Amino acid sequence: MTSTLAEKASPSAPATARAGARRAKRRRTVLFFMAPAFLGFLIFFGYPLIATVYYSFTRYDLINPPQFIGFDNYVRMFTTEPLVGTAAYNTLWLVVILTVCRVTFSLGIASVISRLKSGVGLVRTLCYLPTLAPPAAATLAFVFVFNPEFGPVNRFLRLVGIDGGLWFNSPEMSKPALTLLALWGSGELMIIILAALLDVPTEQYEAAELDGAGLIRRFWHVTLPSISPVLLFGVVNSIIYALQFFTQAIVAASASAGTADVAGNSKLIGAPQNSTLTYPIWLYVQGFRYFNMGYAAAMAVLLFIVSSGFTWILVRQLRKSQHQEEGA
Amino acid sequence: MITLSDTARKPPVSVPPRVQFKRNWDKRLSYIATHAVGIALGVIFMLPLLFVFLTAVMASDQAMTASLWPTEWHFENFVKVFQKAPLLEYFGNSLLYSALATAGALLSAIPAAYALAKLRWRGQNLFFMLTVAAMLLPPQVTVVPLYDLWVRMGLTGTLVPLIVPYFFFDAFSIFLLRQFFLTIPKDYLEAAKIDGCNEFQAMYRVLIPMAKPGIAATAMFCFLFTWNDYFGPLLYTGENQDHWPLSLAIASFRGMHHVEWNMTMAATALIMAPVIVLFIFAQKSFVKGITFTGVKG
Amino acid sequence: MPPTTRTRRGALLVAAAAASVLLTSACSGAAAPSGGDTAAAPGKDDKLTLTVYSKFTDREYGVVTAGLNKLKAKFPNIEIKHEGNQDDDKLTQSIRGGNPPDVAISFYTDNLGAWCSTGSFQDLKPYIERDKIDLTQIPDAVRNYTEYQGKRCAMPMLADVYGLYYNKDMFAAKGITSPPKTTTEWFEDAKKLTEFNPDGSIKVAGFLPSMPFYANQAQYWAPNFGAPFLGPDGKSDLASNPGWKAMFEFQKKMIDFLGGHDKVEQFKAGLGDEYSADNGFHKGKLAMIYDGEFRTAFLKDQAPTLNYATAPAPVLDTMADHYGGGFTTGTIIAIPKGAKNPGAAWELIKQVTLDTDTLVDMANGLKNVPSTKASLTSPKLDLQPQFKTFLDIYDSGKLVANQTTPIGDAHLKAVNDFAEKWQAGSVPDLTAGLAKVDAQIDDELKQKGAGG
Repeated sequence: MTSTLAEKASPSAPATARAGARRAKRRRTVLFFMAPAFLGFLIFFGYPLIATVYYSFTRYDLINPPQFIGFDNYVRMFTTEPLVGTAAYNTLWLVVILTVCRVTFSLGIASVISRLKSGVGLVRTLCYLPTLAPPAAATLAFVFVFNPEFGPVNRFLRLVGIDGGLWFNSPEMSKPALTLLALWGSGELMIIILAALLDVPTEQYEAAELDGAGLIRRFWHVTLPSISPVLLFGVVNSIIYALQFFTQAIVAASASAGTADVAGNSKLIGAPQNSTLTYPIWLYVQGFRYFNMGYAAAMAVLLFIVSSGFTWILVRQLRKSQHQEEGA
Repeated sequence: MITLSDTARKPPVSVPPRVQFKRNWDKRLSYIATHAVGIALGVIFMLPLLFVFLTAVMASDQAMTASLWPTEWHFENFVKVFQKAPLLEYFGNSLLYSALATAGALLSAIPAAYALAKLRWRGQNLFFMLTVAAMLLPPQVTVVPLYDLWVRMGLTGTLVPLIVPYFFFDAFSIFLLRQFFLTIPKDYLEAAKIDGCNEFQAMYRVLIPMAKPGIAATAMFCFLFTWNDYFGPLLYTGENQDHWPLSLAIASFRGMHHVEWNMTMAATALIMAPVIVLFIFAQKSFVKGITFTGVKG
Repeated sequence: MPPTTRTRRGALLVAAAAASVLLTSACSGAAAPSGGDTAAAPGKDDKLTLTVYSKFTDREYGVVTAGLNKLKAKFPNIEIKHEGNQDDDKLTQSIRGGNPPDVAISFYTDNLGAWCSTGSFQDLKPYIERDKIDLTQIPDAVRNYTEYQGKRCAMPMLADVYGLYYNKDMFAAKGITSPPKTTTEWFEDAKKLTEFNPDGSIKVAGFLPSMPFYANQAQYWAPNFGAPFLGPDGKSDLASNPGWKAMFEFQKKMIDFLGGHDKVEQFKAGLGDEYSADNGFHKGKLAMIYDGEFRTAFLKDQAPTLNYATAPAPVLDTMADHYGGGFTTGTIIAIPKGAKNPGAAWELIKQVTLDTDTLVDMANGLKNVPSTKASLTSPKLDLQPQFKTFLDIYDSGKLVANQTTPIGDAHLKAVNDFAEKWQAGSVPDLTAGLAKVDAQIDDELKQKGAGG
């Protein structure tokens, strides 16, 4: 640390040895800290990914050994199989719309809560409770509340003269209804954003107010920059949530078809009219119910490529914000 | 940028009474409006859960019908549920799964997050990217070969396949903890190292106490996720009812053709109770911990 | 820059993992003993434990356990461990996981073809031949849904039969004296029984033909219209078979009469859950429904004052001589691949599928149809008068079941998906639409190397 330019220009043998020893020691430390993570990544992600790619080139029913069939599964996925496109569309719809809505909604609610002078703890707990509910039962309760005939929501809307619509029973409204369900369950994001909002230094607000900035300008120039890392986390979290959307869609579909079931009847998935058939659901059905494991693996590979795309974008964003933080 | 001289230049303005009255009235309106919205929010959020509770105390033939308020109150359903399904056993399994998974996640993720946040080494950013990728990856992608693996080891039907991965690599915990650790200034760690600590001691004696709220928050996330995890236990313990956690228990009240909804909802309410209690008590530290803009002090 | 030891080590690990996958999957072709041979029956005093998986819970679980335990009369030292709440997914998992039960019970026949073709269930034919079982005591249709391409992979344990339930009070009010026998009569009766609100919405529906809704699923209706899924060449046959066209056109006619898809959906959304006390038929919102024999038990429990009767389902006018039959499906029982005590398992299966008393007891408890002809006429059968219709249908010789396919219920989903689109009016050309469904089903069949 205190080496002079002269020493650096012509390193002596003991100095290089010391530097080498330090580097080796550091490597050992890193290895010690990271060993479980490295091992875990290889065993629980690396290996399955490679195996999945392998299975995608086979016909495999998990009971008899896999048979190699080349690219047939992929050809099928892009040509003859009719529902994989619908499933992909449904999941992508959810990724885009659900992410935007979830982050905005959580931000809105958190803002309201941050302004409350009394009862903060209570409202906070109430807003978080839905997240604690088991997803299957919570979905059932939610679908019931939105029942077009006798659910409280439509009953109330009818009182004020609005026709609520068919919610989960309509192919056009089912995904928006599922989005509402997701918003209802976004308590944890809400709380995180709330904490970040409360952390914005009040001096900055006062300064902006004195500068004559109105509510909107204050929000844009003070609040947003300060909570942007949290918002980024919210976006990541919501994308994950949408990409993996499974239980809620299955349960809502069978409930809306009139035969509610906790685990989902495979004849009723995606009801109505496959509008709630998400990609993970179709993958599971193809693989575990129709015994088409090879095809499910091909679907998995596609899913992996898409989620890698999102990852790359997000990591770039993370790196950018990290550099900003470090540079500031 | 505001300077002291700017504020000095603007003398305190004397406000005419009418304007002051309007300002007070505005403030009161905004107070009422905000709190009204707060109350409405609370009610709306509670509605489906209220439905869960009301259904839980209904008679079996009133459940899932158009009449929303119980005509008879069957509080004994909460007891009956224990007779119909071994809920206590399931509770033990849930506790085992969630507690061990959380412990494992912390044990493996804290050092890894430390190395990612506080050390510099080649491949660091690559591994972080891989962690984020793993976080985003839906479990359905890796489930088949993993299942095969556990089958060959003869461990399906137990909670082992669910718990063991947490002791190695939990992407979400590593990510979250790394973000927390990044906000802790390096100076404290440098000071400890000058005092003679190695990296491990620095982490153990300095970083962890400072990052307690963040660690608590991560633990909470992990616990809650595993408590309500349905897909994982379904896959790995589905065939062996002795090892079912509570999340699978909800499906215990199905007959050949119908579901006993009042029982199912009673079980749901009971499953939520422990985590609700946990949250109410841990709320303060949980909320305190999940801020990204730094640990003050 | 030379790769560091760490990355090289990492690469080696990955390569090793990949190699092990390929090796182990190549080597896992170890053949389990195929069904060509039978396992000997246990000795009278042999001590062993048989595990049975089923989806039953609660009261029904008790009924079935009692039925299973009747085996102890013959083999007093056999313990039967009956695990309920195991659905088809979990059953398949246990077989894949290598620790299956000795006996598997499933509520659905849809997966039988898949289980059979993958070898998940053992072929019972050698046992049947060895013990000289006379299978004619089981109706043809029921035998058909328990075998696939000649392999008998399961035995039927109680059956479901579907027919028409109708509200006698409503019939009397509109002057209808007997239940409809043909689809034309069905339509006319439904028209008479339907009542509309002043705003045009449906108040009471004579019959609601929406699919999927309650027990209205394409595969349950198909037999009444003479519509098979697969043609003689094993390929999907919807577009060319007149039965399917007739069925869908009939459905469309009724939906149009009721006011169109939107009105029907609105009405449908307000009908209670199928198995709740608010079921549309129980509440008098539906004058006729199509359902299985178990509905009688629900009606007894939830709507004891409803004045209803049952009859065989109406058939297509051109199929009038098929009247009196109906669609059947049922619970099946099998020996999974890898079962530890197949010989004893077979003895248990014989007990619960062929012994009259056991079948009758379970039928009384579960309110299902007992599956052998002898048990149909047993005096110990204790079920409601309306139930007799279903026993008659079962014995009529005109029962029809769905063909078993190796694709699980993929074809059922495809057809029900189409039905939804059709009734919403989004299919302009019925034949072309059905041809597309054929292509979809054939595509699935191809995955299994079947259907060409």
